[in-house]
Amino acid sequence: MTQATPLRPRKLRRPGASGLITGTAILILLVLAVLALAADWITPYDPLRQNLMHALQGPSANHWLGTDDLGRDVLSRLIYGCRIAVIAAAEATAIAILLGVPLGLFIGYRGGWWDWITMRVVEAVVSIPGIMVAIVIIALLGAGLHRAMIALGILFSTSFLRLARGVVLAEREEVYVRSARVIGASDSRILVRHIFPNIAPPLIVQVTLTVGAVLLSEAGLSFIGLGVQPPHASWGTMLNTAANYMDLNWFLAVPPGVAIIVTVLSVNLLGDVIRDNVGRGIATAPSAAARRRKVRPAEPVTVLPAPTEDEVLRIEGLTAAIVPEGGTETPIITDLSLSTKRGETLGLVGESGSGKTLTGLSVLGLLGAGVQVTQGAIKLNGTDLLTLKPRELEQVRGNQVAMVFQDPTTSLNPAFTVGSQIAEVLRTKQGLTKAEAWEKVVELIHRVGIPRPEERARAYPHELSGGMAQRIAIARALSCNPSLLIADEPTTALDVTVQQEILDLFRDLQDEYGMAILFVTHDLAVAADICDRISVLYAGQMVEMAPVAELFADPRHPYTRGLLSAMPHAASGEPPLPTIRGSVPRPGAWPVGCRFGNRCDFHTAACDHPVPLEGQNGRLIRCVHAERFKLEAAS
Amino acid sequence: MTEAPLLQLDDLWVSYYSRSMLGFAAKPFHAVKGASLTIEAGQTLGLVGESGSGKSSIANTVLGLVPPSQGKMVFDGQDLGALKTRYPAEIRRQIQAVFQDPYSSLNAAMTVEDIITEPLRVHTKMSKAERHARAVELMKMVSLNEDHLNRHPHQFSGGQRQRIAIAAALALQPKLVVLDEPVSALDVSTQNQIINLLYERRDALGMAYLLIAHDLALVHHISDRIAVMYLGHIVEEGPADRVYYQPAHPYTRALLDAVPQLDPAEQARRRAARKAAPAPDLQRVAATGCPYRNRCPLAMPRCEASMPPAYQVEGGGTAQCFLVEEQTRKGAA
Repeated sequence: MTQATPLRPRKLRRPGASGLITGTAILILLVLAVLALAADWITPYDPLRQNLMHALQGPSANHWLGTDDLGRDVLSRLIYGCRIAVIAAAEATAIAILLGVPLGLFIGYRGGWWDWITMRVVEAVVSIPGIMVAIVIIALLGAGLHRAMIALGILFSTSFLRLARGVVLAEREEVYVRSARVIGASDSRILVRHIFPNIAPPLIVQVTLTVGAVLLSEAGLSFIGLGVQPPHASWGTMLNTAANYMDLNWFLAVPPGVAIIVTVLSVNLLGDVIRDNVGRGIATAPSAAARRRKVRPAEPVTVLPAPTEDEVLRIEGLTAAIVPEGGTETPIITDLSLSTKRGETLGLVGESGSGKTLTGLSVLGLLGAGVQVTQGAIKLNGTDLLTLKPRELEQVRGNQVAMVFQDPTTSLNPAFTVGSQIAEVLRTKQGLTKAEAWEKVVELIHRVGIPRPEERARAYPHELSGGMAQRIAIARALSCNPSLLIADEPTTALDVTVQQEILDLFRDLQDEYGMAILFVTHDLAVAADICDRISVLYAGQMVEMAPVAELFADPRHPYTRGLLSAMPHAASGEPPLPTIRGSVPRPGAWPVGCRFGNRCDFHTAACDHPVPLEGQNGRLIRCVHAERFKLEAAS
Repeated sequence: MTEAPLLQLDDLWVSYYSRSMLGFAAKPFHAVKGASLTIEAGQTLGLVGESGSGKSSIANTVLGLVPPSQGKMVFDGQDLGALKTRYPAEIRRQIQAVFQDPYSSLNAAMTVEDIITEPLRVHTKMSKAERHARAVELMKMVSLNEDHLNRHPHQFSGGQRQRIAIAAALALQPKLVVLDEPVSALDVSTQNQIINLLYERRDALGMAYLLIAHDLALVHHISDRIAVMYLGHIVEEGPADRVYYQPAHPYTRALLDAVPQLDPAEQARRRAARKAAPAPDLQRVAATGCPYRNRCPLAMPRCEASMPPAYQVEGGGTAQCFLVEEQTRKGAA
C-alpha cells in the first residue's frame, strides 16, 4: 500500500532568459509561416526573373541580400524558399506519422511475429545511412520535391514507429488496459480509444524533432540535386548555387544558411518547451537561490521535555513547504516538534498527506526538489542538521542515521549482489578493507536471521523474497551502527506472516544495538506492536502524542478515535462499518482552524481558530475539546 | 431443489509457460493447482492468501484474461473453461471488475463520463443522451457529484477514484464483480466508506462478488464464505464466520494470528508465545506432501507422504489437512 504524499512534478516556470528564447522561437516560426503564405505578394522581385547584367552582386538598396549567379534577387528566393520549407516539413512529417504511428501501435499491441518481422525491417533501414536510403527511394521514384519528401517520410516513419511501439509496450500492461479488456472492448478500440491518447505527449515532441530533421534533410537533398529542381528556389538549391560561386561571392551562402539554422533551432527549442510542459517531467535541480535559502529558527518549543543525556533526535518547530520558484509557499508540515531517545521506538502514524514520510526524509536531508524545510531545527545527537554543509550531512547519513524504505525490491540496486551493497557502505563510511568489509557483511546477514549468509551475500536482490530483501535492507542500514534508524513503512509491502517476523527482528536488533527508531506507518495495529510512543499526524501537524498503552486505552483526539474504530479488526459484524466522512484535505486546502474540523463530529465554532498542541507528561493533544474527552474517559 | 451456483470452479489449474530462447516450452509454473470454488448468486466469496498464493490468477481466469490450463469453470450454466476464444459479449458484460490501484486503473486521458459510459458504448446501442442519463444515475449510486462527470481522474482522491471504478463496473448491471484488493491502496479512513458502498450496492442490485484480499478481518466483514489459498491450493473454505472464528487449517490460524492487534498488551503476549515456539524452517516450499508442512507447527509424518484431500469441517466447508480428519475420527469414536 503506497501512501507517498502526492507531490506532482511541478511545471517550473522559468522566467527571464528562457521565456525570451521561447518567445523568439515562436515568433520566428510565425514569421516563417506568414512568409510562406504571403510569398506571392511580399517578394520585391519574381524569384525566377533573371538579370544577367546584375549577377552576383552583394547587398544593396535595390537587392537587400544581393543577387545570385543569374542575377535573381536573393531575398525573393529566400522568401519563396520558406514556402518550400513549410511544404516539405508538413509533407514528410505527415507521411512519417501516418505510416509510423498506426504500424507502431499495431505491432506493439499485437507482438509476436508481426512485431518481430517489422522490427527487423526497421533495424535494417535504420542501420543504412539515411541519405542512402533516401537516394535509393528517389532512384526508384525519380527526383523532385514531393518524391524526395515521400522518401524522407518513409525514412522518418521508423522513429515514429519505434516510439509508438515503445509506448504501447509500456501502456498495454497498465491496469486501465486490463479494465478495458474486462469491459469487453475490442483490440482496435483499446488501441485507438484507450491507449492512443496517452501517447500524445511524446508524439508531439517527436513531431518537432522530425520537422527540424526534415528541414535539414530537404536542404541536403536539394543541395545534391535530388530535391527541388532548378530554377525553383529552395534553401538547399540556393546553398548549391552558393557553393559553386564561393570564390566570386561568398555572401550568397549566408542568407540560406542563416535561414536553415534559425528555423531548425526554433523548431527544436519549441520542442523542448513542449516536452517540459506536457512530458512526464524531467528532473530539476534546486536552483542556487533555493539551496541558499535560510531556515528560520524555531519558535520556543513548549511541548518537548528538556534535553536529556540519552536523547538521540530532537525536532523543534519543523515547518516544511513546497517552494516553487517565484511562487508562494505551500506548507506540508507545520510546527512539528518531537524527540526520541536511545532504545526507544517512536511511531509516526498518519494517512497519506499527513507529512509522516516527509518528516523522516527531512531528517536525512533528502526532501525532493521543490520541497524545503523553512523553519525549525533538527538536532541529531546535539548537532543541528539544518546548519550542516552538504558534505558534512553526507557523513552523518549512514554513520549516525540510516533508513529502511517500504519496498525492499526497489531500494536495493538490482545490478549488484546484496553483499556488495552492504560492503560498499562499510568501506566508504568506515574505511574498512575489502576483506574486513566482507567478513562484517556475512556477520550482519547472519544477524538479521538469514540462513547460509555466505551464499546469500552473493545473491542479487531479485533472487530473494520480499521478506529476505527487507532483512538485507535492514542489515545495510545497521552496518555502521547508527544511533537513529528511520523505518518508512518497512512492512507494508510484505505479507502478514512476514511482517510479523520483520517487526520481531526490529525489536531484537534494537535490544542489541540500542538505536532509536523512528517508525513511520499508516497502520495503527503495526504501531501498537512495535512502538513505545506514538505520534499521530494529520494534514501536516501532530494531533496527538502518547505512550503506546495510553493511546490505545484512551485515545483522545477525534481523528485518532476515528482511525481506531475504522480498523478492519476493530469493528465486528456486518456493514455499515464505522467511517470518517470526507477525505484528508490536500496541502494548500487545509482549514484555517482545526484541520480535522470539517470531518469531525464534535465540531463547534471554537474549532475554527488555530488550535495549539497542549498537554504534559508526554501526553499531547491538539483539540479544543481535549478536557471534555479526558473527563469522559475518566468517568 | 437448490439452484445452480452462479460460478463454479472445479479442479481448476492455471499454468504459465515461459518460453526459452529457442522457442522450446520450458517447465510450466502452476499458479493454481486444482482449485474448486462456488459462488452463489448475490453472495460474496472472499479469497484470501499471501502474495504468490494464486488468488490473483484465479481472478484473472474468472475475468477471462488468462485461460485455465485444466479444469471446469461454469458461469451461469455455461462452461467458460472450454471456450477457446474470448468470452462472448453476453457473458463478458455479466462479469466486471474493480482493481486495486485506483491511480493506474483509470485512464488518465479520459473524462469520468467517458470512463463510466465506456461499457455502455461497447455493449449497448444507447444514444448519447441515454448514456449521459445513466452516467448521472451511476454517479449518484456511488455518492459522487454529477457535476464532476467532465473532470479527469487526476482531479480526484484515491477513494473518489475507486468510486469511479465501481461506477464503471456497475454500469452494465453485471451478475458478478471481481474485486481485486479494492481498498488496500486507500487510506484507512476511506477504506470503510468503500466497503460500505460495495456492500450496499450488492444488496440493492443483487450482484455476487469475488473479493480478493490479503486481510482476513476485512474480508470477514462482507463475505458470506471465505476461501484461503496457499501456494496454489485452496487449503480451507467455508462460511465466513466459521473460517474466521474457528479456523480448521493451521495456515488460516497462522494468518489470523499474524494480523497485528490494536492492543499492545495482547501483542506482547503473542510475541512471548512466538519466542517460546521453535523457529519455523525457512526452506518454505515443500516438494512433496502438504505444501505448508515445513511452516506448520503441527506437521506429522503423514503430511510428508501425501497431499491431504479436502475434508469436511464441522460447522461447514472443507480444509485440506489431516488434522481435520483425525479430529473428525476422534469425534466419531
